[in-house]
Amino acid sequence: MREPLIVGAVAYTPNVVPIWEGIRDYFKDSGESDTAMDFVLYSNYGRLVTSLIAGHIDVAWNTNLAYVRTVMQTDGHCLALAQRDTDVGFTTVFVARSGSGLTGPVSIAGKRLALGSADSAHAAILPLHYLARAGVPASDMQVLRFDTDIGKHGDTGRSELDAIESVLAGEADVAAIGSSTWEAMGRDELMLDTLEEVWRTDGYCHCMFTALDTLPAKRYTPWVDKLLAMDWDNPEHRRILELEGLRRWVSPHLDGYKPLFAAVEEQGVDPRW
Amino acid sequence: MVILDLMRLMATLADGAAGQVIVTSAADRELAEKWCTRSGNTVVDASLDASGAGTLTVRRGRPLDPLLVLGPDRMPGARLWMYTNFHCNLACDYCCVASSPQTPRRELGTDRIARLARAAADWGVHELFLTGGEPFLLPDIGTIVRSCATLLPTTVLTNGMVFRGRGLRELKSIPRDNVALQISLDSATPELHDSHRGQGSWAKAVAGIRLALGLGFRVRVAATVAAPVPGELNAFHQYLDELGIARDDQVVRPVAYEGLASEGMVITRESLVPEVTVTADGVYWHPVAATDEDALVTDRIEPLAPALDEISRAFAEQWARRASAAQLFPCA
Repeated sequence: MREPLIVGAVAYTPNVVPIWEGIRDYFKDSGESDTAMDFVLYSNYGRLVTSLIAGHIDVAWNTNLAYVRTVMQTDGHCLALAQRDTDVGFTTVFVARSGSGLTGPVSIAGKRLALGSADSAHAAILPLHYLARAGVPASDMQVLRFDTDIGKHGDTGRSELDAIESVLAGEADVAAIGSSTWEAMGRDELMLDTLEEVWRTDGYCHCMFTALDTLPAKRYTPWVDKLLAMDWDNPEHRRILELEGLRRWVSPHLDGYKPLFAAVEEQGVDPRW
Repeated sequence: MVILDLMRLMATLADGAAGQVIVTSAADRELAEKWCTRSGNTVVDASLDASGAGTLTVRRGRPLDPLLVLGPDRMPGARLWMYTNFHCNLACDYCCVASSPQTPRRELGTDRIARLARAAADWGVHELFLTGGEPFLLPDIGTIVRSCATLLPTTVLTNGMVFRGRGLRELKSIPRDNVALQISLDSATPELHDSHRGQGSWAKAVAGIRLALGLGFRVRVAATVAAPVPGELNAFHQYLDELGIARDDQVVRPVAYEGLASEGMVITRESLVPEVTVTADGVYWHPVAATDEDALVTDRIEPLAPALDEISRAFAEQWARRASAAQLFPCA
């Protein structure tokens, strides 16, 4: 019998275990030995990428920054396999207290901008990239950083909540958060009298299943095909999809990583940890 | 801000786990409830003062559907237990309803059992269980079982020791279709069984099992075991295999701290998935607590439907409040 594909992921919430047990069971229940998988959990994305490159795992469930760092560390000798539908068209949202009068990127110039953890692409790296492209370099703002979940690339959401708290406390004027966090808060539906959206970046991509290009196609192709076949209308599949935050898995949209590659280069973000 | 507090809390909780957040006003509470509804989480309890301030208990995720968790055969109202009587030829030291030869009979009565069986079938009960005491001490147990089995699958719990004379004639009169006998046997050898149930009772129970099998009955064997030593359960199952008892009909259950038991699992209404139980004294939450005042749902036995409705309603509330705490206690 073929060895199972080993997928690595980072344990950023207690629900990572049921998520991956559910995904493993999904592949196991299919009864097809060429899609069997197991998983290994890491405490941070640095360790995950190092393990992928060292050959300890076959596939890494990477954040966008972990994907970019994998590309940089392997000199491009890696493969993008699949991502969530919700990873495509991800945005960063700039929020201020309701009634702030701020609107658009230029209004953020000269203000106190609260960012999430420094290794969060959506709450730290890309906000500065998009603001600079809109004519507001970091030097034109007072940047406040909340590095409260370093290593997790912002997955916990904790640093974004800290950034928002600082806005609510009057210690910052604007916070940069991921669109998923803004949605999870209830955005303007529930935050109407508390926070308002000042500006939103263009869409970019977030997480990606990543392998080294030495992994034979016959090892990953059946697995990817089976992954893409998960069905929202199947209650057993849906529980896993809901926990992981998607409706369906999709093929890679590599254009969506160009902004982050550019941002990493502009800001001199270290390709390693 | 309560939404931020909720998001921080949820990030620490596994799906199905619960935690608490403080709300400072009625508006805060309303916002928290809206957020939970929108995000697929569940407010399971609120402890608030007159101003609306206090604590909300929130579970991560939506309420589990008890039908999916328990299955249709274990949902409240799927089973109806009837204590035909409370007197018994044995005085087992862990009997959950304290039955013995001296225990008042408190019979439900043949006619009433027939009416209850009909009411249960009409309500939607799937399966009937007749227990005691020792049901085969009743002279008309054959009639009782027939009145039930014509309506629903019926299991009769017995110690298997009174299948002689009149008891044997009654046994033979019972139809084999739609009827199972659940005979108590605690161990593969006499020592443990006899230490709780009386000298010589193991051999008589085994003889009863063999007799019932020989007469063509489906026989389920149920052991009550407090703390099995290593290998004990394995030996028990092997013995039952040799007797010809199907694995699905080999039931092992713990001792409940009820009735005569001086130790065992502490049972509360809140900790049990109900299995509606009728005795001569009333309708109870579960057969293992059929003499426990705390488990009495109503002393009005008939009509039965209101009690079945009430227990289903109460369980739904309890499930919503504490789904993770409710347990099955497998009497059968």
